[in-house]
Amino acid sequence: MSRGLWTTTVGSFPKPPHLERARQQHARGEMAADALFELEREETVKLIRRQEEIGLDILVDGELYRGDMTTYFAERMPGFAISNPVRSYGNRYYRKPIAVGPIRRTKSLTVEWWKFAQAQTKQPIKGMLTGPYTMMDWSFNEHYPSREAMAMDLAAAINEEALALQEAGAKYIQIDEPAVSVRPDELPLAVKALGRAAQGLKAKTITHICYGDFDVIYPALLDLPVDQIDLEMANSRYDLLERFKKQPFTKEIGYGVLDVHNHRVETKDEVKQGILRGLEVLKPEQMYVDPDCGLKTRTMDEAFAKLEVMVQAVREVRAERGIGA
Amino acid sequence: MKIQTTLAGSYPKLPTETGDVNVRVVRNRRDQGKATEKDVADAVRETTRRMIAIQEKAGVDLVQDGCAGWDDAQTYVARGLDGVRIAGLIRYLDTNTYYRQPELVGDVRWKSSATADDFRAAKGMTSRPLKALLPGPYSLTRFSKDLHYNDPVRAGRAVGEALAKEARSLEEAGATWIHLEEPWLGKATAQDSAAVRAALAPVLADRTAKTLLHVPFGTPSAIFDSIADLPWTAIGLDLVDAAGNWDLLPKIPKGRTVALGLIDARNTRLEDSADVARSVAKAAAARPDLEFLLSPNASLEYLPADKAEAKVVLLVEAARLAARNGG
Repeated sequence: MSRGLWTTTVGSFPKPPHLERARQQHARGEMAADALFELEREETVKLIRRQEEIGLDILVDGELYRGDMTTYFAERMPGFAISNPVRSYGNRYYRKPIAVGPIRRTKSLTVEWWKFAQAQTKQPIKGMLTGPYTMMDWSFNEHYPSREAMAMDLAAAINEEALALQEAGAKYIQIDEPAVSVRPDELPLAVKALGRAAQGLKAKTITHICYGDFDVIYPALLDLPVDQIDLEMANSRYDLLERFKKQPFTKEIGYGVLDVHNHRVETKDEVKQGILRGLEVLKPEQMYVDPDCGLKTRTMDEAFAKLEVMVQAVREVRAERGIGA
Repeated sequence: MKIQTTLAGSYPKLPTETGDVNVRVVRNRRDQGKATEKDVADAVRETTRRMIAIQEKAGVDLVQDGCAGWDDAQTYVARGLDGVRIAGLIRYLDTNTYYRQPELVGDVRWKSSATADDFRAAKGMTSRPLKALLPGPYSLTRFSKDLHYNDPVRAGRAVGEALAKEARSLEEAGATWIHLEEPWLGKATAQDSAAVRAALAPVLADRTAKTLLHVPFGTPSAIFDSIADLPWTAIGLDLVDAAGNWDLLPKIPKGRTVALGLIDARNTRLEDSADVARSVAKAAAARPDLEFLLSPNASLEYLPADKAEAKVVLLVEAARLAARNGG
């Protein structure tokens, strides 16, 4: 019997409304850091229980304690300042990192949270980091003479954190690079920086990429020096599979089957069809089935309704095709 | 030498002073049922007034309204067109910002003006010339998903004809300058020339207002020969992210204006105004027969409000320095 089609998620989950309110209260100085921290831990435990209940194979801590995926790290690294709010769309704003000096890792960034999450479950918890190219591209730069210089300093710092996660016991380390897909001319820099960030890792390495022109960067994308590349497939109606027929996908794939920007919950048959189409060109042992991207923009009910459909669809495909977990 | 100054695209909407109207807060309150649509409209109007005041105080010659009510650079205008449906969020090129993707689902037709009333309101807030802003027809076509025409030339022409009517409505409202935001001109290849021309030609034809084709993030060198003879007044070149634009200067037809995008709208580091002035002088020396504007290379909304304001001040300082040096 072949094995494969393991289920997981990309990383972030929605924050419950009372946690959002608590974060705002903390930002206004109306809630102590300790109280917020306790609430974040309580909600993280609940989130891990729910992931176990629906039967996901590889879990995440949900990043309930993080805000923006770059700012969280920048706030904890010397060499960064944080800007006033910048708009991303409509009425959504975020505070963007500014490189103002040499960027270093001087303390753990995520390891304590990973240890806490892993202590709650026997299922593996992924270590979740933001990659050096994305950190560089999504920050302002007032210090470094070049984009490469900044990316490589970030790569060295992120490598220290990744090694610390591995030392703590992480079997899966995901270093997200969503910015990679929009500047094809800089793919060699992204490859170099991610290679430095993943240097010395024996854990399974993953990178998540989304919202880009994959027609342009594939198959060069396969040069990214990780074991698994996680891609949005459902959002692009699985168009990439046609490319894979001509130019085979040679790594493991995080195979996105849920559109995270749509409130509608997919039907089980839709998800099954997506997986079955994948199996026409990919081997089951290559495929890790997950949503297209982080789920933090959905409500908790939407997120878990979608995940339950995904897990059920995978179970049926496994049974029909004789694929073991 | 007098070099005029202007901005490009939208401007940060948040205030830098505590106590000023904050449209973000008002919109959040509206979403929570604690404020009305009129409250939002009032906040947009006061934000527009503040954006214009920042430009006037710094001494910008050709001011803009800042697009205080726009969610992104496409949909404020696109959602008013027949044959266009607004779909999900996707990333806006290589910026970490997003827009809702228009989908062309039927014949694209103009219905009524989306921008003329805003323009009239903003015009009442300033005595300076006010530049209106529209999404460029080629870029709006490329940012959209074509589910109807399945032909980039026909799609571009339809979008261009619809935006020509929007431009006419701005002229009727008193616009003497219309800025067309055209990032895709910097990404188009020679094979796209027919589609580029089909989209631009209707908007540029029979204009009473001057037109500025602004091209952030790239160089339009691949398609420039196909648009050189179209009746645009000015072209905005990004000389921060696309140094290759210096090579385009010799090709600019006589009698046109070039907006030199020399202020980096995508980084908080402040330029040295003397360096900027030297670059202006370099352009003027290369093409003494052209007129020049000085501008940021892209929308200042990529910056936080405090840094954007500092760049507006720097823009005018650099222009004045260039004028002194040139004179």
